[in-house]
Amino acid sequence: MFVEYTWLVPLIPALCFAIVGFFGRRTPACGGYIAIVGAAASFVIACLVSYDFWTSDAYAGPGYVEEHIKWFSLGGHDVNIGYYVDSLSCLMMLFASFISTLIFIYSLGYMGDQGDKRRRYFAEVALFLTGMLGLAASSNMVEMFIFWEIMGLCSYLLIGFWGFDHPGGEDMADNAASAAKKAFLVTRAGDVCLMGGMFILYQAMGSLDYSVIFNQANLSAVDGDTLALASLLIFGGAIGKSAQFPLMDWLPDAMAGPTTVSALIHAATMVKAGVYLVARCLPLFCQNEEVLLFVAVIGGFTAFFAATMAMNNMNIKKVLAYSTLSQLGYMFLSLGAGGYLICLGIKDGNAELVAAGAVGYIAGCLHMANHAFFKALLFLCSGSVIHSCGTEDMRLMGGLGKKMPITSITMLIGCLSIAGFPFFSGFWSKDLVIETVFEAGETDPLGWVFMIVWFLAIVTAFMTAFYMFRLWFMTFRGEAGPNAEHAHGESPKSMTMPLMILSVFAFGFGFVLLTGFDGLLELVPSATGLWTVGNGAAEGVGHYMGELFTNPYTYLTIALVLLAIGLAYLMYCKRSVSPGIVSKDGKSWLYRAVANRWYMPEIYDQVSWKLGYGVARGVDFFDRDIIDGTVNGLSNAVVGGGESVSKMQDGNVHTYSTVVVAGIILLFAASLVLFFVFGGI
Amino acid sequence: MLPMLVLVPLIGAAVTLFLGGERSKYARIAAFAFGIVPLAMCVPILMSGDMSEYDFSAEWISAANLRMGIDLTVDGLSVLMVLLTAFLVPVVIAFSYKESDRPNYFYTLLLAIEVGLMGVYLSADYFLFYVMWEVSLIPMYFLISWYGGPRRHYSAIKFFIYTHVASLVMLIGIFALAFEAASIRGTGVVDFGFAAVNAAAPAFGTLFSTLVFGLLFFGFAVKMPAVPFHTWLPDAHTEAPTAGSVLLAGVMLKMGSYGIIRVCMENFGTNPDVVDVWQPIMLFMGLLAMVYGAYACIAQRDLKKMVAYSSISHMGLVMVAMGCFSETGTEFAVFQMFAHGLISAMLFMVCGAAGHNFGTREIPLLGGMASRVPKYAAFTMFAFMASLGLPGLIGFWGEFGIVYAFTDWAVESDAVYLIVFCLLTLLLTAGYYIWAMQRALFGRLTDRLDFAHVHDLDLVECVSLGAVALLVVIFGFWPDLALHYIGLYPFLGVI
Repeated sequence: MFVEYTWLVPLIPALCFAIVGFFGRRTPACGGYIAIVGAAASFVIACLVSYDFWTSDAYAGPGYVEEHIKWFSLGGHDVNIGYYVDSLSCLMMLFASFISTLIFIYSLGYMGDQGDKRRRYFAEVALFLTGMLGLAASSNMVEMFIFWEIMGLCSYLLIGFWGFDHPGGEDMADNAASAAKKAFLVTRAGDVCLMGGMFILYQAMGSLDYSVIFNQANLSAVDGDTLALASLLIFGGAIGKSAQFPLMDWLPDAMAGPTTVSALIHAATMVKAGVYLVARCLPLFCQNEEVLLFVAVIGGFTAFFAATMAMNNMNIKKVLAYSTLSQLGYMFLSLGAGGYLICLGIKDGNAELVAAGAVGYIAGCLHMANHAFFKALLFLCSGSVIHSCGTEDMRLMGGLGKKMPITSITMLIGCLSIAGFPFFSGFWSKDLVIETVFEAGETDPLGWVFMIVWFLAIVTAFMTAFYMFRLWFMTFRGEAGPNAEHAHGESPKSMTMPLMILSVFAFGFGFVLLTGFDGLLELVPSATGLWTVGNGAAEGVGHYMGELFTNPYTYLTIALVLLAIGLAYLMYCKRSVSPGIVSKDGKSWLYRAVANRWYMPEIYDQVSWKLGYGVARGVDFFDRDIIDGTVNGLSNAVVGGGESVSKMQDGNVHTYSTVVVAGIILLFAASLVLFFVFGGI
Repeated sequence: MLPMLVLVPLIGAAVTLFLGGERSKYARIAAFAFGIVPLAMCVPILMSGDMSEYDFSAEWISAANLRMGIDLTVDGLSVLMVLLTAFLVPVVIAFSYKESDRPNYFYTLLLAIEVGLMGVYLSADYFLFYVMWEVSLIPMYFLISWYGGPRRHYSAIKFFIYTHVASLVMLIGIFALAFEAASIRGTGVVDFGFAAVNAAAPAFGTLFSTLVFGLLFFGFAVKMPAVPFHTWLPDAHTEAPTAGSVLLAGVMLKMGSYGIIRVCMENFGTNPDVVDVWQPIMLFMGLLAMVYGAYACIAQRDLKKMVAYSSISHMGLVMVAMGCFSETGTEFAVFQMFAHGLISAMLFMVCGAAGHNFGTREIPLLGGMASRVPKYAAFTMFAFMASLGLPGLIGFWGEFGIVYAFTDWAVESDAVYLIVFCLLTLLLTAGYYIWAMQRALFGRLTDRLDFAHVHDLDLVECVSLGAVALLVVIFGFWPDLALHYIGLYPFLGVI
């Protein structure tokens, strides 16, 4: 009964956006409370919808609920607007609205000194929430794409929140404006790919409704190459939005926005949209195993590549940004490897492979939710630290543990979780991902690719633990840096409360695996009908615990994580090992390459400058001098040599009417000649 | 009703003309009142179930062997253009309410342009169509050369010659059409009416059709404008007053694409041999204009010139859509014409306002303006976002439908790779707008402007922009409101 009100979930934040946007200045905290109430209301409705969907027998049969009305018709088929509820959209709506509520509360404190600017801030985050929840509830890809772009717009606006009037000065304003531009354009490159994929799919299938395009009977009717092309283009959209290699460089720059925005948009929710898209479209991707291999390789490589850049960065937010990229890579890796196994399993009729692949899907979705909790927590903690110290440079911090006990402890929980310390939420999902990849590595004939990726994945696990604890030790332990000495101390309650709530989830959310969560998020392939997410059989309590702890490779990962934490302790807390040994005091080529972000920003700049502005200058020259030059030259020639442009500028209509008449006579003669000559043949 | 749509602005133009001297302060009020009336008259037309009940026909020149009538009609193809014209004229009159240099002439010219535009979109007779085409041209020429910027004479002449030559070529095509149709029907009367020519169109020879399509197409393509006949447009826009730019980009360019659908496609579009010749040319010109126009935008320093090139790029989309010769293509070509009409009106209004309110439109001289002129920045951002195709606003659906129509054609023709050009254009479009915003609105505050003379948009300007923005949002949420009317058109020129 509550499922029928799913449309309210994105609508409430939209109303908040309108109210805050137009009348926010007259409301308390410039619309802050309205935004919080709206997000909370959305969360409550999302809870009711999910509860209803997961408990009611009426929905268990089909495994999804879809309602739509006709929006308009395109090319003889209808494009609809409506909602589609299944376990995946419920999960997405739940964690997005929950985390948003907490971050909005946190923003009351964090943005408290911003005056009238808060109206713009709260209006934009409310609009963003509309986009995120709408994305989760959409019933077709066109509708999804609209919300997808609304999020892109809000990301642009919020990264550029301090793009003018920056409290830190004009250079920072320039920096924020440039980062906003980069974010919009790089993700736009992905978006146009996604659009291309949608068009090809629509052309082939005559619909973009999930309930039609993920129906195996319809998919089988379409040429495999077309589907592969559409899948790859759609994945291009995910690469842009979720900042995977090679469209990844915008996310570290996006840290120029307020920290709450980094936590909400660039860690917990929007960057998950790409993962959601791939998870949603996995039935389509599963038509070609090569596509899934590509997804897995991109994910695995990004996980490793981004982690390298976090190793020696000194900016607390940028380290977290790189770790976001890296963790998103894990999610794609999981979906890719899981989908690959499902695809092979269906082809060979091997139910075990399908079951192993389903674990990859569950792990990917669980990691998506876990990461939302612990990364939002980590960013909010870093925000609390920045708020107190007034700097983002970790070298100026240190020893903050005593001044900010709550922030310090909650951030430690977040670090343990992301590092994959046993029983913390990140441990469950990350180790399931690694296990799935290992299983994909045992298949023929492309298993060796997954073996390489598996190796990258465990190395990444080591690096993750190292750089996260490097961050924590540099910030909270050791001697107090220059800014830490003058730190204000612990942040206000509105900021620490969300931290404490989030840390509970960052620790414990993994235990949902023990409560039948895996059954809810099982991708159920169908040979002739719709692929659904949900109503699978849940494994018994303790199943995953048994599986993980009987697998020797799990212990390998745990050992690597402990080793990395120990190394970070020795280097950055006890300081008995100098980091300079590894980096040759910053002189090694590797250190410099990593510190320069593998020269990615230069490559981006050069490529975009050459292909964009360089070509544009050529076109402009062609336009002015060749086309206009010819036109002016022609008119001058007709007018008679010397009476040139200056005459033209006098506006001598007589000469021009002569030109006109002469031209007409010429053209007319030419057309007559053409007509009679060719007409006579 | 339809003759009144043409006559009311004509009367308004005459009345306004005499409000010179001391009475000039009433000129804008009178002009606005006469501008609002056609908009009000659009309401019953839009509400009526069957628009053909408004058809009007009167004899004009009726000799023994010649018939040119004053035939007016409105259908799914033209009704949105009529609405656009009727809507934009009062908006620009309001927006340029501060005009103090001979205001009576200024508003007279605006209303005179409306007469021509209404005439073009309503006429159902080729000769009347041609006359009205020229009627819209002349007041625009004077508007640019009297009220324009420093290089106004050069630009006005260039505009006049380009479009006049083109329309003379078109006139040859129209004569060829009418005479050939008369000889096919064999009645001995050369009838310029749309119906008479259309009835004879299936019997046109292939060679005749191909050539005459070319003559007419050239006439319309220059107006659209299509690359390489486009260089008059950036100059005209740069020099024209804001109101002139809005009408030029908002409605006048659409005369070109309207003509292609109405004249070229309706008469020859069902002949596969003609389509075989002209389809590749149209698609090539469209794709070229899209990419070329988008690249040219990146290099511009003047906001208004950038927006002018973006019009070329967006009209390239319309050309591609028409070049598909499919129902979807034509449908969304019309939709894009409507969408671009609204959006480019906003774009030219904000760019014009930069000139009036800041004293310069040069992007390098601006910077960080958002902190000083928040309303201006908000509207500029809205207009740019609408133009780059942000979903939920009207511009998106035009691009969406057109790229889909083109994909449909490309897949059927085994040339899917061609959609790369469409996608590239979408990316470049975002590129130049976002880059321009970064440089003009955000970042460090410029030190090259005298902020004592910089002022934000005032109430009237905000209301005028807000009215257009409202339509952009409404049609963006529910595109079927416009597609419903386009669907009433029988799509004659489609195989």
